[in-house]
Amino acid sequence: MLTVARLELTIRVRAGRWRWLLGGWFVVLLLFTFLLRAALPDTSSLYGHRGTVMYGALQLFMLGLALVVMPALTSQSVNGDRERGTLGVLQVTQLSAFDIAAGKLLAAWGTGCLFLASSAPLVVWCMAEGGVPAFRVFVVSLVMALLIGVVCAIALGLSSLLARSTTSSVLSYASMFALTVGLLVLFGLATETTRQTVTVHYGGSGTGTEQVTRTDHTWWILAPNPFVVLADAAPVAPLRQHCFSVGVGSGGTQTVCNSEDDGFDPLGSISRAVRSLRAPPDVGASALTSDRPRAALVWPYGLGFDLALGGFLLLVTTRRLRTPRLQLPRGVRIG
Amino acid sequence: MVVVRAHRRFGAVEALRGLDFVAPYGEVTGLVGPNGAGKTTLLLAMATLLQLDTGSVRIAGHDPQTNARAVRAVMGWVPDVFGVYDNLTSWEYLRFAGECQGLGRERAVVRATELLAVARLAEYRDQPVHVLSRGQKQRLGFVRALLHSPRVLLLDEPAAGLDPHSRVELRSLLRRLAGEGAAVVVSSHVLSDLEQMADRVVFVDHGVVIGERRMTELGPSIGVQKWRVRALDAAMLTTALTNYGLAHDVTPTGVELEVASEEEVAQLVRRLVADGVPVVASTPVTSSLEAAYLGLTRGEG
Repeated sequence: MLTVARLELTIRVRAGRWRWLLGGWFVVLLLFTFLLRAALPDTSSLYGHRGTVMYGALQLFMLGLALVVMPALTSQSVNGDRERGTLGVLQVTQLSAFDIAAGKLLAAWGTGCLFLASSAPLVVWCMAEGGVPAFRVFVVSLVMALLIGVVCAIALGLSSLLARSTTSSVLSYASMFALTVGLLVLFGLATETTRQTVTVHYGGSGTGTEQVTRTDHTWWILAPNPFVVLADAAPVAPLRQHCFSVGVGSGGTQTVCNSEDDGFDPLGSISRAVRSLRAPPDVGASALTSDRPRAALVWPYGLGFDLALGGFLLLVTTRRLRTPRLQLPRGVRIG
Repeated sequence: MVVVRAHRRFGAVEALRGLDFVAPYGEVTGLVGPNGAGKTTLLLAMATLLQLDTGSVRIAGHDPQTNARAVRAVMGWVPDVFGVYDNLTSWEYLRFAGECQGLGRERAVVRATELLAVARLAEYRDQPVHVLSRGQKQRLGFVRALLHSPRVLLLDEPAAGLDPHSRVELRSLLRRLAGEGAAVVVSSHVLSDLEQMADRVVFVDHGVVIGERRMTELGPSIGVQKWRVRALDAAMLTTALTNYGLAHDVTPTGVELEVASEEEVAQLVRRLVADGVPVVASTPVTSSLEAAYLGLTRGEG
């Protein structure tokens, strides 16, 4: 397995294209962070830390970029090798099918993690702006690395299932699209079907009807979305202090300070949104009362599903690489 | 190495239809047949890459269908088309292949260096593979199959794309390996190559074996054959042949005529010389192997 990973990495490093890709990746992220920093107002009007906003936005942007770049790492690795005639030669060695599949995944994942690591200077910049605890960076980076692994495994599986490398490339991008936009659309449509009318008892004797959708029945559709997983898995950002003056009886004023969630934190906002979807509808409550208890976690389900999907596709790849083969993909010679 | 009653069907195409095949140790066995005869399918089944529908294969006592790993430890395979990783150097390519073959890092390094010399590529040791010529890549791929010193060697069209010099070398290398006790199977439709390489030739067509010949048996020809006779004075030769009442064609390389046996050729030459025709050459137009092959396939059709 390690031999295959080393072989693949050596070939990748020699090819040289990755240097341009990595360079482009970093420049795009740098530009994004720089513009974001310039666009943000100063700390006083944010009521919170500039770093929290910058870090959250950078991570979401990086995940989006990863979904575009990472499938390229493995989307041709099995059928491309078959087309070049280097696969059969590898299969008649002492390597098992799993050695080959896992080695290819490991090499791709390692490359993906290198891309992730290249963003370290930008993360340090965000931390320097304040409001980004090291623990948050640790967890978010870990989840990001796992998600990159899943993306590589999906593309690898497709490259083993499909005979032509162009088809598997297109399909691996399509699956990234399905996982992000597709699930969001599906969630929206599915939620509409749960719309129901409920009778609401207002205080006293008044009753009325209200339309509600049961997102607590459909939230799981959204869970595997990588953005949801990443945002919800991120530990809560430092609370911000919101202070205001209130009049006291004798004409004086008193400063009251509330600790509250940082409303400008992109990760936290997504997290709060999806968690509230999981909670049963809050019938009759005023929109202003947001004192509802924090709803249950969403990310363990999403990450669990994504990892299971990645694992499944690694198994599929292994099965497809097993020899001797009984069936051949249409129009393919082993070689 | 034995293959018994091998059947393999790809959709509507029956590639192997009950083919029996034996390749003994210490011999080079040639596998001859037209394109699509089932040669590659048979080799893939022996190389542990393809499952047979029915039938059994034994390579050095192991079944590639059930114990592929054991077979791979003693078998080397050179496919008809194969790729090399362009960005590796020749030496790295062999070293990685050796490690994949389970040789261990140090042993792989030693074998890579040894076989680079065998392939006459020692001077390209640190050159990326993509600078090599087609024939050089072919040689590199060939020695890759020898890394683990296999006892059974399978080669699918190994001579394709090789220059004459490399062909001669390939031939002597295969003969040497067979001499050391390996079972070598070479598929080819370049009959002249097999003629000087193989101890025995097996003819395959439509997924079955249609005949086999030991090279020693091929010598005296069978049936009517075309011979080419050349003389210093072409006009004298044609006149003489016309006088004998023999039908003949005049070609740029000599005069061709059909003979029934080699005795007849000897007789003819004696007569021509006696009549003062300056004969310089008398050769079969088709090689004996080609003649056997054509005879068999004609009989089939």
